[in-house]
Amino acid sequence: MTAPLVRLEGVKKSYGDSVAVKGIDLAIGRGEFIAIMGPSGCGKTTTLRMLAGLETPTEGTVTIDGKVMNDVPVHARDTPLVWQSLALFPFLNVAQNVEFGLKMRGVPAKERRQKVATWLDRLGLSDFARRRVDQLSGGQRQRVALARSLVTEPPILLLDEPLSALDAHLVIRMQGVLTKLQRELGITFVYVTHSQSEAFAMADRVVIMGHGEIAQIGRPREIFRAPRNRFVAEFVGRNNILSGTVSGGAIDLGPITVPLPGAADGPAEIVVAADRMKISREAPAAPALAADFVSEEFAGTGIICYFEGPGGEELKAQVSEDELEALDPAPGARFYLTWAPESAHVMTGQS
Amino acid sequence: MRSGVLLRLYIAAVFVFVFAPIVTSMVFSVNSDRFPTVPLGHFTWDWYRTAFARPEVWTAIQNSLIVAACAATLSTLIGFATAYTDYRYGFRFKTAYLALALLPPTIPVVIMGLAMLAWLGRLGLSGTLTGIVIAHTVMAAPFAMAICRLRLNQMDAALEPAAWNLGATQWRAMRAVVIPFCAPALVSAFCLTAAVSFDEFIVAWFVSGLNKTVPVMILEILQGNVDPQINAIGTLVFLTSMTLVIAAQLLIIRRSST
Repeated sequence: MTAPLVRLEGVKKSYGDSVAVKGIDLAIGRGEFIAIMGPSGCGKTTTLRMLAGLETPTEGTVTIDGKVMNDVPVHARDTPLVWQSLALFPFLNVAQNVEFGLKMRGVPAKERRQKVATWLDRLGLSDFARRRVDQLSGGQRQRVALARSLVTEPPILLLDEPLSALDAHLVIRMQGVLTKLQRELGITFVYVTHSQSEAFAMADRVVIMGHGEIAQIGRPREIFRAPRNRFVAEFVGRNNILSGTVSGGAIDLGPITVPLPGAADGPAEIVVAADRMKISREAPAAPALAADFVSEEFAGTGIICYFEGPGGEELKAQVSEDELEALDPAPGARFYLTWAPESAHVMTGQS
Repeated sequence: MRSGVLLRLYIAAVFVFVFAPIVTSMVFSVNSDRFPTVPLGHFTWDWYRTAFARPEVWTAIQNSLIVAACAATLSTLIGFATAYTDYRYGFRFKTAYLALALLPPTIPVVIMGLAMLAWLGRLGLSGTLTGIVIAHTVMAAPFAMAICRLRLNQMDAALEPAAWNLGATQWRAMRAVVIPFCAPALVSAFCLTAAVSFDEFIVAWFVSGLNKTVPVMILEILQGNVDPQINAIGTLVFLTSMTLVIAAQLLIIRRSST
């Protein structure tokens, strides 16, 4: 990576006694699409607001394009934000909304008109230029908000859960619009969301935040397949978390001992993704967890079956519709869960 | 069905009760008889003609309009500033601040009038239009504040930061976003406070001295003799105030739909 566009170093934000962000380090590259994801109250929005200058870090430095931004006021930054509520100006029409940023920056009228026309066209809004924003559909309003933020051609765009108010089918469409736009413009997108489908579908890298700290940074697949700690494993995907003790290339999970090649001896937690769990009616030759069927959940790409494990813990396995039909599980029925040793991922981080 | 009819009758009765005196006054303002008696005489504009032939009536109207315009402008400015402070900033003693800001209408007007007389007298402003403007501003600003506060509460909390984020300084955002958003409320507040000032009698009576406003002048005429000219002037005062209040109401209704 060349010199990063954005660098957060030891950034901390507290309000009186309550700490929203506990000191994070993060470098974001030029042209990178990064998603910051976490449950509500994890500090992701505060982090974004610090990038925009809407909050000042209590400690640490925020650097954008090599310049320390801590004391640069909001209006002097070029870090447009797409708001969760969109925050379109209701008393202005579509074109005037898009023009706003140019006007505030003193761009001459002629140039303003040109740029507004270009961006309206780019986002398919040319026919609505004179419309009031409250006469637009959700998707159109979304595009107005994007045009309004991008018209000044910033090096970075901040997005604060912009799709959370849209219908599911529109979310998918807007995800397409966003990734395409980001690729074409080649600028940095910092996208805050609590939705993992949005984050994993669009981002180059995902930052998982919890309790004001960064729990893990990585490519979507990496985070999905190799969560670093229990927090990430529980937040991302549908994972089975099993704890035990490793000795001599095998892990003792209590009821069974399964091979775990290459793992260091000592206590460990392993993760087996639901889609890597295999279910059988008969006890297989290999060591298997005996579990009682509880319920099933249709999850679009497959069906998640929930079981109660030997220690009363919840276990999940993903099956296809055909498989489910073949198994035909009744509540309380006994099944055996197995997984290939290489499907188990050992978590190294502390929760 | 039956309760529907009863309800309608009840509402009609309320309206009759409220508006009968005013309608009576209007009717007698165009009635030829010297004294308000039934049956009525014939239709005439005479009382309007004689009333508006008096120069002091015109002076009073002029005074009232100047006072109303100034007091409404000041009240709206102060009311908006107070409401914005409440909207934008959180601080200790905010409840006390709000209570103080909204206090004046709860003070009995006679007390307010006396206090104003004493206070403005010290400042050498009693008996001047400036004095009445100050008194009316004190009385009307809380109404302006209430209206502006209502509007600001409808404003998306992200709207102003969005303007900063797009390169507007705080002042620029105020001009380009907050004021346009509040425009209907500001006009509405102006109309309502103008009506408050235009109608106000007691405090104006204490403070006005020789610079009489219309309500004060009406009392003076009334003290001399009962004259249908009063009905004529009263009708015009009523129509002016009603126009202002209805304008204020229409703006409130229109803006809550957006």
